[in-house]
Amino acid sequence: MTETPTATPDYDDQTVRNFVVATITWGMVGMLVGAILALQLAWWPANLGLPWTSFGRLRPLHTNAVIFAFTGNALFAGIYYSLQRLLKTRLWSDKLSTVHFWGWQAIIVSAAVTLPLGYTEGKEYAELIWPIDLAIAVVWLAFAANFFGTVAIRKVKHLYVAIWFYMSMVITITVLHVVNNLAMPASLTRSYPVFAGLTDALVQWWYGHNAVGFLLTTPILGLMYYFLPRAAERPVYSYRLSIVHFWGLVFLYIWAGPHHLLYSALPDWAQTLGMVFSIMLIAPSWGGMLNGLLTLRGAWDKVRVDPVLKFFVVGITFYGMSTFEGPMMSIRSVNALSHYTDWTIAHVHEGALGWVGMTIFGMLYWMVPRLWNRPLHSVPMATTHFWLATVGIVLYIVAMWTAGVTQGLMWRATDAEGLLRYPNFIDTVVALNPFYWIRLIGGLMYLTGMIMLAWNVFKTATAPLNNQAPAGTAKEVA
Amino acid sequence: MSGEQDRLLGHADEADGIDEYDNKLPAWWVGLFIGCIIFAVGYGLDRHFLRPTSEALEYDAEVAAAPKAASVEASITPEAVAAGKEVFMTNCVACHGADLHGGIGPNLTDETWIHGGKLTDIVTTITNGVAAKGMPTWGPVLGPKKIADVAAFVHEQGGGQ
Repeated sequence: MTETPTATPDYDDQTVRNFVVATITWGMVGMLVGAILALQLAWWPANLGLPWTSFGRLRPLHTNAVIFAFTGNALFAGIYYSLQRLLKTRLWSDKLSTVHFWGWQAIIVSAAVTLPLGYTEGKEYAELIWPIDLAIAVVWLAFAANFFGTVAIRKVKHLYVAIWFYMSMVITITVLHVVNNLAMPASLTRSYPVFAGLTDALVQWWYGHNAVGFLLTTPILGLMYYFLPRAAERPVYSYRLSIVHFWGLVFLYIWAGPHHLLYSALPDWAQTLGMVFSIMLIAPSWGGMLNGLLTLRGAWDKVRVDPVLKFFVVGITFYGMSTFEGPMMSIRSVNALSHYTDWTIAHVHEGALGWVGMTIFGMLYWMVPRLWNRPLHSVPMATTHFWLATVGIVLYIVAMWTAGVTQGLMWRATDAEGLLRYPNFIDTVVALNPFYWIRLIGGLMYLTGMIMLAWNVFKTATAPLNNQAPAGTAKEVA
Repeated sequence: MSGEQDRLLGHADEADGIDEYDNKLPAWWVGLFIGCIIFAVGYGLDRHFLRPTSEALEYDAEVAAAPKAASVEASITPEAVAAGKEVFMTNCVACHGADLHGGIGPNLTDETWIHGGKLTDIVTTITNGVAAKGMPTWGPVLGPKKIADVAAFVHEQGGGQ
């Protein structure tokens, strides 16, 4: 890896390559744990009867791995790659880049050790214990300093739209992480949150919802705004639309957290607030989808042959689907059916596998040949990855939709005397079992695609260097 | 897709070669945005000011509107005992045993009635359960008819008072 020259040696591409390798490594780990969990739900003996491998401990490992390790590293790779090129300057500080990369990997390893051992704060997507929380804050601030330092020493005046989206992430995630993890340590592994009861729940879902918003939505939109027009070689459809939907998104998103607490002890007016802000989010979310898809006007012939664009198109489509479904699920009467069922699981995987995963894959297939200055090892393999992942997502989501609606309807079913038709919870579990197997098949297809990506990148990076070829693109070897 | 359409802003040199059009916002998209905002305001006004309600009130209304099981006077008849046996074999055997000699739950055939051996006592015990001992609350699960039947069956088998 170290001997590779880059097209413009001034840029720090070694850090980007490191983050790419980390993305792929942790992506495989996170998705493998996900497949194990899917198996455990379909076939309980897969819990192995051991506390460390039980569903309750592996589940946060899966979510943390795919959100903070796979997506986190991918965001850092894509942001560092595009930021330097958009601002025509090397990253501000090599030292901070190193601290950022190795610090983040150390945090991931410590999470992978502590979560199976059962150390947790019990807050969803914020399970990690307080010493790791502190480390995250330090490393994140190193990233923030490096990011804004680079913006400060930029060689262009204009800040391209992608950078606004990156900025919204850097600022908002700092605030969310710090506030939601405010706690009084009682020992090295134990702490008590400063907020109590319902307030704590509301803070948690303000965090949880906006972690989705500002880690899995806005920065991915930023990546889309850079990598999609680069790959399609088309101008962005509308600058005006990007301004309006950016401000709409960042302003409205932050209020929608209470929709996670519908039909709870949260006051009715606060639940209403969460619901109506979710509804108002539809148009700003779709603004991103429109700008992505309309940018492809005149480039659809390329979509047919280039797996990079295929990944982007499907990713954006799932973004449009899940940003419509989310507001629908936040409507009280829909939520009464969907809450606590697998419908929620379908929804989050539409976002995670569909929008986030596919966009990251497209970005990697476009970036890797340029980072290693070699043509992609195999375009057909990338296309196969695309189809495996797409069909896998569809199987996964349809199975979980069906399971969710089935369970929701079984829970509320009553007979003529007003008695529950399925008074025993186990009745619903038995009914859902076939769908859990279908979900596992879909997940395994997605994981297989991920492994093919890893192999493709490994073969690309280790191929003999061809100095004649400019930065390879997918088409050159097709 | 006409008129001012597809005018380039021309700052590609400041965005790594990416140029941007300054196209107008799609009219249907603006309509959707405004429509959602109107709905949001309208829904909030309606629910909390014009026709105020709450989840607690909605719950009460739903419960009031739900079908009710007719209350049943438990009595010992051969039909009730026979029907009660069926209910017992489906729901109660796991803890009280097929021969009613007990297991997880107490023996129902001896002379001891921990929570009262009158027919009405047995109905009450089954309906409300005994949380401390692990006896579930069967009221909302079985309903009054089945509880009356199974109480009659248990009363007869156990020689209740």
